[in-house]
Amino acid sequence: MKTHFYRVYLSALALVVVTSCVSLRTAVFDQYSYQKATEIKVDATRLMDRSNTPYNSQTAAIEHLQTELAKMVEYEKNKPDNQISYAMWKMISDPNKKFIGGFLKLWEEKGTLNTIFAEEAKGQVTEALDLILQYEGKKDPAAENKLKAILGLQ
Amino acid sequence: MDVNNILKEIKGNLLDLVGGKFEDLKAESKKDVQDFLNASKEKLERWTLLLAEGHISPEEYKWLVESQKDLVVLKGLYAAGASKIALGHLKNSILTTVINTAIGIVTNTNTATADSGDSDTE
Repeated sequence: MKTHFYRVYLSALALVVVTSCVSLRTAVFDQYSYQKATEIKVDATRLMDRSNTPYNSQTAAIEHLQTELAKMVEYEKNKPDNQISYAMWKMISDPNKKFIGGFLKLWEEKGTLNTIFAEEAKGQVTEALDLILQYEGKKDPAAENKLKAILGLQ
Repeated sequence: MDVNNILKEIKGNLLDLVGGKFEDLKAESKKDVQDFLNASKEKLERWTLLLAEGHISPEEYKWLVESQKDLVVLKGLYAAGASKIALGHLKNSILTTVINTAIGIVTNTNTATADSGDSDTE
């Protein structure tokens, strides 16, 4: 009888802990997101290094990067509990923000860009992409797996 | 452009994002905010010098300053997400403790019941 009481009491307590933390859900670590973010960072910085050449001479590489960015935004948008990463990717690729999307827009408007400015802008874009990479890295897969194991979801 | 005014604005935006006054922040968040402001100050001073020396145009200067303001927002998103993950990890350890405690109590109770049953029969 006493055992039954403890079982019910502690199951109820565990249930309260789990359900009270629904708002804390975050998407799990995603190897694909991390890898794509790294590739986009490398492609973006290489392209920025060529921004002293005419925009029209780099259209293939620019369109490729823009497509990769659009795919990434779409991918992050549809992952559950992933609002923060999605918002970050939207900012990075937005032509009206001052990251890679905005840099490409300015390059298109001006035709070519000043090397000193491009170097400073590259630092800003790199910092933004590093934040995305660090955030993805914080989604500890070990902790997530432990929770799933406890809850019998594995 | 006045670097101090821009810094003041960035600090205000950052504090709005992390919520509350600088003095009320926890040591870790305070350090993050301060590190970001120090980094912003260095950049703003460098860009102002580049502008003054004619290496970058006013439009490019404006773009860079705005990119630093956009970074404040991104940093705020990162901080909000990171706290959420940290709280999620805390939840996991609470859950583990509850379950371990439950297993411990149930096991001990069963042993005690068995012991008491044994002594009753003696």
